[in-house]
Amino acid sequence: MPAHIIDGKAFAANVRAKITKKVADLKTSHGITPGLAVVLVGADPASQVYVRSKGKQTVEVGMNSYEHKLDADTPEDVLLALIDTLNADTSVHGILVQLPLPAHLDETLVINRIAPEKDVDGFHIANVGLLGTGQKSMVPCTPLGCLLMLRDYHGSLSGKNAVVVGRSNIVGKPMAQLLLNDSCTVTIAHSRTKDLAEVVGRADIVVAAVGRPEMVPGDWIKPGATVIDVGINRIETEDGKTKLVGDVHYDSCAAVAGAITPVPGGVGPMTIACLLANTVTACCRINNLAEAEDFLS
Amino acid sequence: MTANAPDHRHLLGGPVKQRILDEVRAYVKTATRMGRLVSIAIDGTTEVGVYIRNQARVAADIGIDFDQQFWDSGITQDTCKARIQEMNDDPDVLGVIIQRPLPPHINIRSLQSAIHPLKDVEGMNPASIGNIVYSDIALVPCTAAASIELIKATGLNLKGLEVVMIGHSEIVGRPAAMMLMAEGATVTVCHHMTRSVAMHSRRADVVLVAVGSPHLVGPDMIKPGAAVIDIGINQIKNADGTAKIVGDVDTDAVTEVAGWVTPVPGGVGPVTVAILMRNAVVAHQRQRQSGWL
Repeated sequence: MPAHIIDGKAFAANVRAKITKKVADLKTSHGITPGLAVVLVGADPASQVYVRSKGKQTVEVGMNSYEHKLDADTPEDVLLALIDTLNADTSVHGILVQLPLPAHLDETLVINRIAPEKDVDGFHIANVGLLGTGQKSMVPCTPLGCLLMLRDYHGSLSGKNAVVVGRSNIVGKPMAQLLLNDSCTVTIAHSRTKDLAEVVGRADIVVAAVGRPEMVPGDWIKPGATVIDVGINRIETEDGKTKLVGDVHYDSCAAVAGAITPVPGGVGPMTIACLLANTVTACCRINNLAEAEDFLS
Repeated sequence: MTANAPDHRHLLGGPVKQRILDEVRAYVKTATRMGRLVSIAIDGTTEVGVYIRNQARVAADIGIDFDQQFWDSGITQDTCKARIQEMNDDPDVLGVIIQRPLPPHINIRSLQSAIHPLKDVEGMNPASIGNIVYSDIALVPCTAAASIELIKATGLNLKGLEVVMIGHSEIVGRPAAMMLMAEGATVTVCHHMTRSVAMHSRRADVVLVAVGSPHLVGPDMIKPGAAVIDIGINQIKNADGTAKIVGDVDTDAVTEVAGWVTPVPGGVGPVTVAILMRNAVVAHQRQRQSGWL
């Protein structure tokens, strides 16, 4: 039986519909409109595309979008002062500083300047620690998107063997924490892992986030396992064109897996949807409103 | 072998503790403006008393001032936080220790968050844990770090090693897992919802257990030659009604299979207090780097 294809695009549209409804609720019941501030330093073309796309979707779900575009040579104290202003601004509930920053700026310093409760990327060191100890925190968007899709497909994740391949701060580590919080038995595999094929072969759930095109072949996958592919890699095809592929070899994995996310159209569309969801969550927490966490389920 | 000779398969905490304390002592001798450690106990029980006295004795031995404070059980959360805030601002306070357990009306997480990260010698502030997740190993939770010191004492190279952590508590299991990963191990975290712990642990080069269940780990769960780190502390009754302290490992039986086993007592426990003192040194260094001292 061919694998069930987890349609991230449709799932993300569904999540955005729920967010739209929640945002409307917040307006009518409390007179609050969630607001997301995005800070872009410099003119990196890819970053510009992301920021535009984030702003557009923010407005589409009924939230306020505030874009702050700074010159590439903006001094650090100017950027920090802007973050202080946004931290104090009650109409702003989420603050996102688009990464990477130009080399003269200290990313860690800048991210940790954001008020943790407005850190909708979940990269502030306090949020990392709260998530790492299973406490309430802001959760990084990409792993949150993976978790929501896994919960939707499986129902309960409790007791499943999950293997996360890759230990990046942005995806691998928070993904492992989220799966632990949902009571999976979690293994984090990485470039030092001795027998990766064997480790991956134990998993009921495989999350691949290593940034190496088609690294995980189908014969590593346990039949029936769920495969979540976080990778987005552009490779050249035989005819000289390029195409996007993930970190797993899709065709061979889809032949054995029980379910799989495609690239593109799997994890990708969920990331911005989760950013919007985090902004709503932050807005509810800041205003001491009934926890809105379950508005997605 | 005589009855009293130490079993070479037992991985003892004592020598590791002494080595760390020697390093700390050498640092303290030359350090300037090293403030005091403040231990906060609220509504202290006898058990906590023993624990605090042990910390105080070790601190005195290496030359760090140790201030034992016992706060009244009627104290409010806000007063606790205000007092901790004063300690944050006091350059003579090197670090703050919050002794568990606390009365039910006090939220420990909120107090841990109130301690300035550079004075968090127990490594329990979310920022301290966040740094560990990001592989910046500075102020570390003491028990987790003690367990890793013991693994290193075997001479095993953690890079690429298969490690199984049984137990996912926020104090021990989870930080230990992140630290082991930072050392390059392939880490699997098992817990009460894991379908078959043995299936995982039998593959492991190193098994750590911290669940609080006497004799949970038997010889059938251990790969021959593996290192077994027993973090559990449980009080059980002997057949004659007397009490004794055991870990989470069936030590006698597992010793026949494993390459190393930490005994309880005498394994992880003694190293834990040494890590606390080493954290005091790290706190002093970081406070100096930040221009506080």
